[in-house]
Amino acid sequence: MDFSLSEERKMLQETIARFFENSYKDIKKRSEYLEMNDGFSREFWKESSNLGVISGLISPSFGGLGGSGEDISIIFELIGKSLCIEPFLSSGLLSSTILSSLKNPKIELINQIIEGELLVSFAHMEMNNRYEDHFVESKAFLENENWKLNGSKSFIINGDSADKVIISARIEGEINDKNGIGLFLVDNNKINNRSYNTIDGYRAAELNFDNINAELLCEDALALECIIKANSAGALALSAEAVGIMQVCFDLTLDYLKTRKQFGKSIGSFQSIQHRMVDMMLEIEQVRSAVMLASSTFETNSSIRDKNISAAKNLVGRVGKLVAEEAIQLHGGIAMTWEYSVAHYAKRLIMIDHLMGDADYHRDRFKLLSLN
Amino acid sequence: MNFEYSEKEEKFRIEVRNWLKETLPKYLSEKVRKYQRLTKEDYELFMNNLSKKGWIAWHWPEEYGGTGWNAIEKHIFEEEIVKASAPRIVPFGVNMLGPVLIEFGSEEQKNYYLPRILNNEDWWAQGYSEPGAGSDLASLKTTAVDKGDHYLVNGQKTWTTLGHHADKIFCLVKTDLNVKPQLGISFLLIDMDSPGVEVKPIITLDGEHEVNEVWFTDVKVPKKNLVGKENEGWTYAKYLLTFERTGIAGVPNSKSALNHLKMVSKKSMKNGKPLIEDPMFSSEVAELEIDLLAMEIFNLRTVSAAAEGKAPGMESSLLKIKGTLVRQKTTELLRKALGPQALPYLPEQFDEGWNEMPIGPEYAGPIAKQYFNMRKISIYGGSNEIQKNIVAKASFGL
Repeated sequence: MDFSLSEERKMLQETIARFFENSYKDIKKRSEYLEMNDGFSREFWKESSNLGVISGLISPSFGGLGGSGEDISIIFELIGKSLCIEPFLSSGLLSSTILSSLKNPKIELINQIIEGELLVSFAHMEMNNRYEDHFVESKAFLENENWKLNGSKSFIINGDSADKVIISARIEGEINDKNGIGLFLVDNNKINNRSYNTIDGYRAAELNFDNINAELLCEDALALECIIKANSAGALALSAEAVGIMQVCFDLTLDYLKTRKQFGKSIGSFQSIQHRMVDMMLEIEQVRSAVMLASSTFETNSSIRDKNISAAKNLVGRVGKLVAEEAIQLHGGIAMTWEYSVAHYAKRLIMIDHLMGDADYHRDRFKLLSLN
Repeated sequence: MNFEYSEKEEKFRIEVRNWLKETLPKYLSEKVRKYQRLTKEDYELFMNNLSKKGWIAWHWPEEYGGTGWNAIEKHIFEEEIVKASAPRIVPFGVNMLGPVLIEFGSEEQKNYYLPRILNNEDWWAQGYSEPGAGSDLASLKTTAVDKGDHYLVNGQKTWTTLGHHADKIFCLVKTDLNVKPQLGISFLLIDMDSPGVEVKPIITLDGEHEVNEVWFTDVKVPKKNLVGKENEGWTYAKYLLTFERTGIAGVPNSKSALNHLKMVSKKSMKNGKPLIEDPMFSSEVAELEIDLLAMEIFNLRTVSAAAEGKAPGMESSLLKIKGTLVRQKTTELLRKALGPQALPYLPEQFDEGWNEMPIGPEYAGPIAKQYFNMRKISIYGGSNEIQKNIVAKASFGL
């Protein structure tokens, strides 16, 4: 076993870390990006592309420079540390995962994503879908040999700024059937979308479509496999992001405990506070370990991959709540303010549990995969 | 022992309920129910109604205009207010300063301020915490220097809830810097429109403006605005805090949040079935209900003992800790119940008269915001850590 990163990956990590640190110096910079038209900075996105951050999420087989579980984790941990709101998850990872898993991978589109010229969002969630892979109500049907889509999708990250959208829709069967799902590619300008911010600062949209033309990417078993793979990749990425956020929450809290004085001494000198910091540290190391394991098995067969990813994401949900709440409580009032960054880290950490399956969802999925 | 409400108590409940039905405007309860932002006038409308009815000062002795209710009646009243979705009673004048003036104020102060509090003529704010004095309140730095007929006040207060609406603020200030911190504090009443007072908003993590910083630069405060004796303010401050902590268990709020949680978990779906049918989730809701059920009795035991003249000591600290944890748990389970529906955040949804389509069910909008906002309750009013110190110090003999 070898738990250290290769030299090449260490260099990647350092380069990207420096880039993120320079662009996201403080929480005010993030707020500026947030207020831009798309809810992120196009300029930053283009620079990410030039530096190879986007290609770091994509395998060399499809024109990228990375794409392994380790690459994804390294990049997303840094995204977490800087609380970066660029479309790395939506375009960089979820959509490229699907486009590269097709019978005939869409190399041209993947290249455009890598170049930072094309944004594609993955639209699978629906209003009453609670993270399920196969719960699809939107309908697809053939009309004069053309595919048409009808329905709506919810909580689609970067669903407003995407040029194209990958939509899951039901070709046949009941809402909860595993078979009969198709994945379709659609130009976003044909879709009615209502955009809004999420409480943790991301831009998302509700998509509505009525008999719009669509290109079929895959169907049935392959479609379901693509959805599961994208959701698992997303859960891994968010888990790694959470590790980065937890570390920042911990570091900010420790700094504060050293500088904040009450009763004539630093509040960190109280034993009861120290013990709580130790509990937090211990749990963060647990999460970090589970994420490392999940990264290392990302390219293996799907049941091992998904079991380890579910373990990581379940821990992220449980420990994320502990870390977010303790970071706020141990800071006291100052952490309740918009101006101080820890509140924004805490919000993102909590809301990660509402994306790509919460702790309960992944506990249940782990149970199934572990008992089989 | 008898845990049933008496006939008299039930009659009282109906009386309160009917009164609320008659006097609380529908638009206002709608706003409260939807967590929309309340204006100064919204709070005042409800409090003026209470004043007219003679129900505003339910913590005061009857001779000063109090209601004369016993502990159970107070509990019923609080519960009905929450059930009716009335705005909260802004506590700083009537529930905090009032009792202090009654106990320690001069005749002149009582004659002037108490009727004004009863009639909501003044909006009071609380000037306790400072940037360097939170848990360690006695280390406060705001000074009041004796200038003959007045004090000259300099310093800064923070976390001043609704201070942007306030006409007056009661402050803890340092009047003697050469003694142990607790022995040099005085309790001063300050007009917010005095020259040199400045209010600056603090925006909280949910993007809202409820708390403020209040700055004092060479503010002249007449000597007659000193409550009690100079340098004895710490005693009055602590007396006031015991009032701040009663009712802090928030049983009525948690009960109403629990009902809301049950409703939401019936409507939220998991794998095509109502979430409440999920055994793991419903067990969590059940355990929360068990905690709350026990806490309600614990709370009633404590307030009844207090009504018999036994001072609530460490019990109010224990209730504050458990009450905040239970309340926070309700917001956590509500957030969890929503699943991905917790993500959208439309700040304009909390403006009065907003009538666009919500994203998802209407009840989803405030839930994540409320979860984050409620992190404050285990911090303010003496953090839960401080409450534990109080209990350990007062009762273990270690």
